[in-house]
Amino acid sequence: MFNIDMDEIDLEKTYDLIILGGGPAALGCAIYAARFAMDILVVGKTFGGLIATTHIVENYPAITSISGQGLMDMFKDHMDSLKIPYISDEIRSIDRVDDHFELHSFFQKFKAHSICIATGSERRKLGIPGEEKFIGRGVSYCATCDGPFYKDKSVCVIGGSDSAAKEALFLAQSVNNVYIIYRGEEIRAEPINKRRVYDNDKIEIIYKTKIVEIKGDTTVKSVIFDNGKEFEVDGVFIEIGSIPKSELANHIGVETNEKGEIKINRKSETNVPGIYAAGDVADAPFKQAITGVSEGVIAAYSAFDYVKEMNIEY
Amino acid sequence: MSQDDRYKDIIIREMAKLKKTVKLKVFTCKIKPSSGSLIRECMDCNQFMALLRIYEENSNGMLTIEELCIDDNPEFTKKYDISRVPTILFIDEEGREIIRYLAAPQGGEIQPFIQAIFAFAGAPNYYEATIKQNLDRIQPSTIKVMITETCPYCPQVSTIANNFAIASKGKIRTVIIDIMANPDIGQYYDAAGVPYTIINDQKTLVGMVGANEILRALIGGNIHVQY
Repeated sequence: MFNIDMDEIDLEKTYDLIILGGGPAALGCAIYAARFAMDILVVGKTFGGLIATTHIVENYPAITSISGQGLMDMFKDHMDSLKIPYISDEIRSIDRVDDHFELHSFFQKFKAHSICIATGSERRKLGIPGEEKFIGRGVSYCATCDGPFYKDKSVCVIGGSDSAAKEALFLAQSVNNVYIIYRGEEIRAEPINKRRVYDNDKIEIIYKTKIVEIKGDTTVKSVIFDNGKEFEVDGVFIEIGSIPKSELANHIGVETNEKGEIKINRKSETNVPGIYAAGDVADAPFKQAITGVSEGVIAAYSAFDYVKEMNIEY
Repeated sequence: MSQDDRYKDIIIREMAKLKKTVKLKVFTCKIKPSSGSLIRECMDCNQFMALLRIYEENSNGMLTIEELCIDDNPEFTKKYDISRVPTILFIDEEGREIIRYLAAPQGGEIQPFIQAIFAFAGAPNYYEATIKQNLDRIQPSTIKVMITETCPYCPQVSTIANNFAIASKGKIRTVIIDIMANPDIGQYYDAAGVPYTIINDQKTLVGMVGANEILRALIGGNIHVQY
């Protein structure tokens, strides 16, 4: 299965369901919708979503341990077996036209009777001096992507989540030292990863500390702590959570909460009939690949019911 | 199935679908260049060619890989400004370089490489209509995409850049660079993150960027859209 297999794509037809996103929630939705014999299309900016950057996934039931990329390769194979078309593009607006929706990107216009928004989230930024300047030159949001640049160097990971712990563990495989810098008093990683961090001689945790500036010349050389101390590092990996990518939802009147997450019910329905949401962009309190898949699957079932009610023949 | 077997399986399965002929030039060397040479050997040429032969052998004769040893082909080496080996070139019928690979098409990079071969052979190109609509606003351009083998987003950016170059009929040229095999290029651009996309050595886009962001960087303004 390839990103854009034009043989599988009919740009003139009105699809039963267009799924927006490329992560587990979107692809879980696509796999179920395809099995419901719906005419579907997946349009995503990033195939694999954020989980593709996770170096190890150990909490996806029935798979003991796999890389995030490996897991998404399995999704890809599954999509391929069902001939599900995927387009690498980004929808910028959705409009209701008669009995269907029109979706516009810079490259094409699509039509669909129903939509599942599973656009995920993007990494939250620190918003401190030096961050933007050194992106790609010492500031990174993806250890899997950029870890190889820091072999035998010193790096810091900002954040105290399970993701931050896993980033630190991955980086410790190749760098000299990893410093987890966390404003809290105890990192919030899953116990198994917390133990691994504590047991790793290359990882040191600096608690109750924030960084207020990133400094360097052409690349990062140091960070400044909120106590004024300058701390030398070659790389800064920022892992402080993510922000839902829900701008599209607002455009068509889909309700979001104060965090910008799309409000859904137990059928993955939004307040707009025919529009569903799933995964990190939705308002579930516990966001995991498996829960995103679950919401996506339910969205597929709800969309199937919705389109069936429209008396569209299969 | 191991990951290597899986990748080989993808090459075999996909290359069998190629219906039109494509010829690629690959520059290699027989003798490792000396340290003072202007040519740099970035990867093992024999291993590289063995990989490309898998593509060729499974294409039902549709893909031809022409190996050009730089020692025996100084004219071509000069014409195409080959400064490192191995280098893969996609050259169109008018002799224009469209895509240059300073990277092995293995792992995640298999997908964009095969897609480039198919698009080069005339398969429908999703971005073609919009590129053509905006072509008069695009200066002759080079998109350099720096990648690593472990980066999950790099193949997606490579795919977009390659498709842009093919759709532009010679106005855009793409260079895919494995930054680990070519660390000097990474150092030159101070790149320590991938995908790292450079437009005309002027604009830099770091991380996963979409087709619209690359096109906007190419034209320096709003994209003309007509469906």
